[in-house]
Amino acid sequence: MTATQPLLDVSGLTISFRQGGSDVAVISDLSFAIQPGESVGMVGESGCGKTVTGLSLLSLLPPETAKVSGRIGFDGVDLTKLSPRDMQKIRGRRIAMIFQEPMSALDPVFTIGQQISETIRAHFPVNAREARERAIDALAAVGIPLPARRYDEYPHQLSGGMRQRAMIAIALSCEPRLLVADEPTTALDVTVQAQILDLLLALTAKSGTALLFITHDLGVVAEACSRVLTMYAGQLVEDAMVDDVLTRPLHPYTSGLLRSLPRLSAAKSVLPAIPGRVPTNAEWQAGCRFVPRCSHALIACDAPQLLRGEEPHRVRCGRYSELSLPGVLP
Amino acid sequence: MTPLLSVEDLRVYFPSGQRGETVKAVDGVTFSVGAGETFGIIGESGSGKSTLARAMVGLIPPTDGRIFHAGQDIATMSGAEFARHRRSFQIVFQDPNAALDPRMSIGQTVREPLDIVNADSRADRDRRVLRLLDHVGLNPELALRYPHELSGGQKQRANIARALALEPKLIVCDEVVAALDVSIQADILNLFARLQAELGLAYVFITHDLGVVGHVADRIAVMYLGKLVEMGSADQILHHPLHPYTKALLSSEPLPLPKAMRTGTRIVLEGEIPSPVSPPSGCRFRTRCWMTQDKCAEKEPAWLKYGADRWNACHFTDFNRDGEASDRAPSAAMPPAH
Repeated sequence: MTATQPLLDVSGLTISFRQGGSDVAVISDLSFAIQPGESVGMVGESGCGKTVTGLSLLSLLPPETAKVSGRIGFDGVDLTKLSPRDMQKIRGRRIAMIFQEPMSALDPVFTIGQQISETIRAHFPVNAREARERAIDALAAVGIPLPARRYDEYPHQLSGGMRQRAMIAIALSCEPRLLVADEPTTALDVTVQAQILDLLLALTAKSGTALLFITHDLGVVAEACSRVLTMYAGQLVEDAMVDDVLTRPLHPYTSGLLRSLPRLSAAKSVLPAIPGRVPTNAEWQAGCRFVPRCSHALIACDAPQLLRGEEPHRVRCGRYSELSLPGVLP
Repeated sequence: MTPLLSVEDLRVYFPSGQRGETVKAVDGVTFSVGAGETFGIIGESGSGKSTLARAMVGLIPPTDGRIFHAGQDIATMSGAEFARHRRSFQIVFQDPNAALDPRMSIGQTVREPLDIVNADSRADRDRRVLRLLDHVGLNPELALRYPHELSGGQKQRANIARALALEPKLIVCDEVVAALDVSIQADILNLFARLQAELGLAYVFITHDLGVVGHVADRIAVMYLGKLVEMGSADQILHHPLHPYTKALLSSEPLPLPKAMRTGTRIVLEGEIPSPVSPPSGCRFRTRCWMTQDKCAEKEPAWLKYGADRWNACHFTDFNRDGEASDRAPSAAMPPAH
């Protein structure tokens, strides 16, 4: 990777939600960068803060309850400092997002075409006819057959795979520099998932759009991304190239996650599950948050841990240099 | 030996709202499951696998065909006889949350089947509940808790405890780990394996997850649009698939492997599963199959036996086997388990 200016440069991002008079932390001191055109995965289990991170990049967290601090640098501008009005010019135009459930992300009372045109007209000085033409092109680009006819159809008239294509069409209609994709294939069947992954990768490669791919599926990351951020309990615990993390993970949690995949154990054998469970936000400690489940933990691990190691492989584990942890290969 | 569960040419149709249409959710399925065995059924949404699951345990009456529990046709049983009989055939569902009554404590939920059967004293039943919770790895203190106080994995354990309460011989597991995180999923799969070893249970494991089914199943059936397209041992299905749909399914699964090791050619199917209201003529898979020919639209491929307990329904199976089977087999890309 060249030392160009990163497209996205998040540093010290900390997010909490106001809940019943107290603040509940959801993201602690998150720092990572995405280069122009790069495809980066973000993995972790439910509650680790993946979705909140994605939403924060577009200022989509509810301002009444969410407290965001730190810096979200995008193209040299700190997004956390922008007025809602200026952010609106970036959202949908420079940074777009797609979601897991296209049925709830699309508005049921507007046609697919209206929803794409609306996005285009919000960002470009075009009239309704031109917007319609561009929307039909966008539908064609995502492989929707008979795009001129689909333009006038409502979300419920489309199948799950077609709805996800329509959502991608909306997101890419303004040629954003960064696409945040939050579990975009999780609700789809595996044969349709393969289609959508191929489509996403082809379209983003063509337009040079960078991708932040949020998922719990390590197979999807291996397929779609070159780098992966592993999240645990609101912290980034490992940031590495995908192939490196699959073969030689440096964090015990990442290793445990990989080893617990049924695919990697002999049929019928006991799966190496990670003992215990993910701590609730109230249980987060100042030191390494994985300590209660980690078989390598020492007393020193109870002290706060920083991201260590050399680019491009950083890990939040004080013992990483002494441990040799298994990845997908034993 | 009589199989524990067998299903013969089972059909389950539902009337669909408009224009008197019929949804043929399950449309002629035949298989059997032996005692202590794990039988996997894989298929995508809309394949009819959940309807099949419910019909197997008598929760949905079949439109046609027969279901045998330990050799006895459940349609010929009297109500009382069936009520007694069905205790041996339990089901666990996908969403651990929806399957628990939020107003009942975990202890009440697990005790409910025992209350209905009403065999022992109340004190014995309560003691049995504590043993069941312990058996599925839940702290017996959780008996007094309510579902919202439990994590997803704990809730699924409670559902399993309830299914075990009446000492079944077979449990139908309908996407039981689909809603759980990877690390919890491994825990629950280990629990199922331990219970099987201790209690000699048989499982029908219904899932869309090839990694899961490959890990747990002895035999696997592949379902597409209401019908089985292929059935055989887990090894045969995952490593030497015959049917083009099975091959496509296997090759679609994204594998968590470094680039250099992902060598298999991916078969990306076009389109999506058609509507079960008007399935395609002939072979139902033909609209998405890359090797379809005129014959496929004209004639439905027969469900034929290939070797010991190996079944397949495709007009071109011999072609597959001799021609493209070896280099198309995508699961070969996965390293052998150690």
